[in-house]
Amino acid sequence: MINRALFKQSCKAHWIKWLSVTLSTCVMLMIVIIVLGNLGINDIRDSLKNVFVQADQESSLKENSVDGYESYFTMIDGYSAIESKAPLLAFLQPQFDNQIDELEGQGIEATKEVRAQIIVTMVSGIIESGAAAGFGMDESLVKVFLTNYLTVYSDAQLEGTSLTDEKLLSDAYCNTIYQVTYQDAIANGKSEEEALVQASSSSYICQDAVASYNKNKSNSEYNYSADATNCVNLLMQTQAEQSLAGSGMTEDEIKQYGVAVKVISNTAINTYQLWLNELGDTEDAKVEAKSQATKSISDEIPEKVAVALQELGNMDMYGLIIGSIFYRIAGLLLPMVFVIMTANGLLAGQVDSGSMAYVLSTPTKRRTVTVTQLAYLVFALFSMFAMLTVFSVIAVAIAGGNNFAINYSEILLLNAGAFLTMFAIAGFCFMCSALFNRTKHSLSIGGGLTIFSLVCTILGLFGSTVVPSAMRISSMDFFNYLSIITFFDTVSILNGTLSYLWKFGVLLGIGIVCIIIGVFRFDKKDLPL
Amino acid sequence: MGTKEINLIEVDDLTKDYGHGRGVFDVTFNVKEGEVFGFLGPNGAGKSTTIRHIMGFSKPQKGQTRILGMESFGNYFRFLGDVGYLPGEIVLPEGLTGWEFLQMMGDLRNLHDNTRLKMLLERFKLNPKGETKRMSLGDKRKLAIVAAFMNDPKVLILDEPTSGLDPVMQQVFIDYIKEEKKRGKTILLSSHMFNEVEATCDRIAIIKDGRIVSMFDANSIKHNENKNFFIKFKKKDEFDKFLKLLPVSKKRKIKVSKPYINKIDKNSKSLIAYCNDKDINQLVPLLSDYQIETFSENKVTLQDYFMQFYREDKNFGGVF
Amino acid sequence: MEDIIKVENLTKDYGENKGVFNISFNVKKGEVFGFVGTNGSGKTTIIRHIMGFLKPQKGEIKVLGLDSWKNSCEIKKNVEYIPGEIAFPDLRDGTTFLKNQAELLGLADMSYANKLIEKLQLDTSANLKRMSKGMKQKTAIVAALMADKDIIILDEPTTGLDPLMRETFLDIILEEKSKGKTIIMSSQMFDELEITCDRVALILDGKIIDIADIKELKNLPYKLFKIEFLSHEDFIKFKKFKYKIVRVQEQYNQFTIQVDNSKINKLFKDLKNFKLKFISEVKKDLEKHFKEVLTEFYKKNDIVLKPTKSGKEDVKHDK
Repeated sequence: MINRALFKQSCKAHWIKWLSVTLSTCVMLMIVIIVLGNLGINDIRDSLKNVFVQADQESSLKENSVDGYESYFTMIDGYSAIESKAPLLAFLQPQFDNQIDELEGQGIEATKEVRAQIIVTMVSGIIESGAAAGFGMDESLVKVFLTNYLTVYSDAQLEGTSLTDEKLLSDAYCNTIYQVTYQDAIANGKSEEEALVQASSSSYICQDAVASYNKNKSNSEYNYSADATNCVNLLMQTQAEQSLAGSGMTEDEIKQYGVAVKVISNTAINTYQLWLNELGDTEDAKVEAKSQATKSISDEIPEKVAVALQELGNMDMYGLIIGSIFYRIAGLLLPMVFVIMTANGLLAGQVDSGSMAYVLSTPTKRRTVTVTQLAYLVFALFSMFAMLTVFSVIAVAIAGGNNFAINYSEILLLNAGAFLTMFAIAGFCFMCSALFNRTKHSLSIGGGLTIFSLVCTILGLFGSTVVPSAMRISSMDFFNYLSIITFFDTVSILNGTLSYLWKFGVLLGIGIVCIIIGVFRFDKKDLPL
Repeated sequence: MGTKEINLIEVDDLTKDYGHGRGVFDVTFNVKEGEVFGFLGPNGAGKSTTIRHIMGFSKPQKGQTRILGMESFGNYFRFLGDVGYLPGEIVLPEGLTGWEFLQMMGDLRNLHDNTRLKMLLERFKLNPKGETKRMSLGDKRKLAIVAAFMNDPKVLILDEPTSGLDPVMQQVFIDYIKEEKKRGKTILLSSHMFNEVEATCDRIAIIKDGRIVSMFDANSIKHNENKNFFIKFKKKDEFDKFLKLLPVSKKRKIKVSKPYINKIDKNSKSLIAYCNDKDINQLVPLLSDYQIETFSENKVTLQDYFMQFYREDKNFGGVF
Repeated sequence: MEDIIKVENLTKDYGENKGVFNISFNVKKGEVFGFVGTNGSGKTTIIRHIMGFLKPQKGEIKVLGLDSWKNSCEIKKNVEYIPGEIAFPDLRDGTTFLKNQAELLGLADMSYANKLIEKLQLDTSANLKRMSKGMKQKTAIVAALMADKDIIILDEPTTGLDPLMRETFLDIILEEKSKGKTIIMSSQMFDELEITCDRVALILDGKIIDIADIKELKNLPYKLFKIEFLSHEDFIKFKKFKYKIVRVQEQYNQFTIQVDNSKINKLFKDLKNFKLKFISEVKKDLEKHFKEVLTEFYKKNDIVLKPTKSGKEDVKHDK
């Protein structure tokens, strides 16, 4: 079916074009992948991202500060409530002692476990008796507090340390706070690590608050604001510094960071206080004041802009440049020129000039001519893209392999898609070359419509989802419907979705149909040779 | 008749050497007013080179060419209105229709009267409607012919004018040239179409390898007074008898005043006799006494004469 | 002898009276058959049909018994073709082109090709695009004839060639003829067809007007002589001999008469006592023959030749 001599003739006639197009496209691709890979075009995107990440972090920090600040007061209130129940609690001590004595009288050693057991029993008894109500606290809270109270008392006994009532109360309270915070955090779905951090933060604040209370309880006018602020600031600073330990930053850098955090915390709390002064002390006021205090950049800019910027921050520059711009536009242009010129030269051009007479004056069927020329065209196209694939794989490997924005399977799919797109275009140009007897018709229709497709794809790019909404002009998306290149869905390939597959099939189908039409027409038409 | 014969085209020792033996060397000839002069030679012999010099497109290395008394080189714009030039290679400006081209040529020559143009178009059956690019070779040639003739110039210089025209159009062209000659035009015709040169020209020059190797009156070929007759006899004895009547000569060209025998073929009882018209009345009566099987004339056409100059070369690889 | 090429009622109408209509002729084995006609008369169209490039609308063409359209490929195994316009494919030089063509033809033995190249003194290493017309023609000749096939088809092969090249080319055709090849040739030049062909068809407006037999033409049973007398009296006296007079130019005392070959002796006897200025033969050639045929044709069909506004010849047919 394929005539070797004619095939060789076509090779000889077009190899220079093939070589220059293939090499240029490969070089272009290498530059795009490797050089751009090193240019850090994602830097802007990353720094934009960082801005928002930082803004979020700052927001969190501020929120924590304000929450901590408020909790300071809450804890003081809670402690003073507990303190007022101190006499009640004092009862528990002798009860406990009695139980210990009893056990010891029975010859059982009062180990820690034994004591713990006694505590559990005692606390359950108290709860069941309904005496918890007298504490004016939540039942679960009471249980925990009482347990802690007795445990601290018991431990002190065991260790033989002296224990003031004050210390007993404050330790028990703070432990309770610790445990409750932890459990709440877990219940809210936080991870263990986060829960621990929260618990220890609460505990720290609690201790400071209780200490301050104990010092100043005689002064009923005492303003705990300053203490609360300082405590929270210090807590934030310490936590920040700790989080950077082992991160590779120098001591000075860590210290600087800690100070910055401290300043942010302080600012947030001050803002909060100022707002409260203005708004009063209601719950609503507190909510409003908190929101004012924890504002970040994201809250300052209008939402549309913020969304746009965030999208920009999430934009995949590589996907855009390599997938949509190179593989669908820039990288297809040179192969298109090759296909347009070569397809014409294989049939219509030779009929027009008359040199086809030499081929057809030999015992060569017309079908053989069309099939041979077609075989050459497809072969040239395939080998062009095979080269391109090899080069692109090497380029991706140099740029970082699977760590690169585009991994191996994606680059292979992109090459395959580009080949199929060119196959469809080649089929169309081949058909035009087979249908027409004059170069100018074959070129103007085959070539003209092909270039038209390319231009539409370029225009349509501005309306596609590849371009972030800040830059998108959605009405331009209309142009995508006019171009055959639209069937090459690079977005889908890079997204990992499968819609590109059926579109590949469409491209293949278009190519095949055009080819069949061309071959059959050439068989039957009159040739002015 | 008393009017001095003016040479409207003069070529004096024209020499231009392009190297590798190409060019023109010591070419000299004149074309008188009212004369049609034929320039005959194959491709590459120097015809077009000579014409380019006459038209003033090239500068001679030696010698000079003159048109209408003016030196050609540098005076092109002066004789443009009086000279019609038909170049050998027809390359028409792109993007014009035939009409636009003719209009442009008319404007260039300050032509305002279209009657002659219309006559020419009808005569040559040319419709200049289409784009020049799409015209057939024949139509392009016709267009160029019309453009060259349309301003009725005094002198016509035609380089391969009928190349690409079919025989019917060739005849139209030949007839037209004959008419122009009657109107007193001076024409230099360069061609390798023997029939048109033969039909129109008064004098003919043959150019070979850049040199003029022969210049002669056309009539000497057309109405060649020296004739060769092929005579075949019915009977052998009569044949032998006749052989004795006339002198026999082996050489091709002898200037004798009597008929003589050129070639003999004993097997077919035939011979070729050379006879000048002046002596025909010596030959004819002789023949009346014999039984002749065949009597015909071996004509020497212009083509035969021309080929003589070139045939020797062919065996050695020729012009290519 | 069998008919190598049989064309029966071939018709292809392109509209506006362009095309070929009811063309019928046969070409026997070893015959050289010529077409002559003006541009656009249909010569190239007929040849394209024989080569299988065009499909007949009506009628059929058989080459070696095979249909020219359906079995075109099969037919090509025995046909060599030199197209009218020489347009080479996009290859570098003559050698590459000839090798390529040989492959397409399935020709393994290049000895005849080399012989032709030597005979034509062709430099095949020259760049294909920069060849002169003569060299291109030579290359085309080698490309076609090197396969040494039995049928040769030539479409106006000497257009644009100078006399030397034309003569070389015709020599080659005659040589191929002597080998017994069957040849079809189209041309606008009567003389070259006269030299090479056995029969020549005259084509006008897509129809065959006449097919001339060259041998017959060359061996007419009569000759034409132009006789000019020295005196007017002799001129008048000669009239009484009642020869068939073709043309008279009384002002020159000149007759052109037609004399049967058998009656040549009588002519000389009659002329014996006359004084002649000259006697010369008027040769009947193909061109003259066809001119006569055409004149007859126009008369018969009552055709008026009138140039119209469009510049085209308007031919009215009576029947």
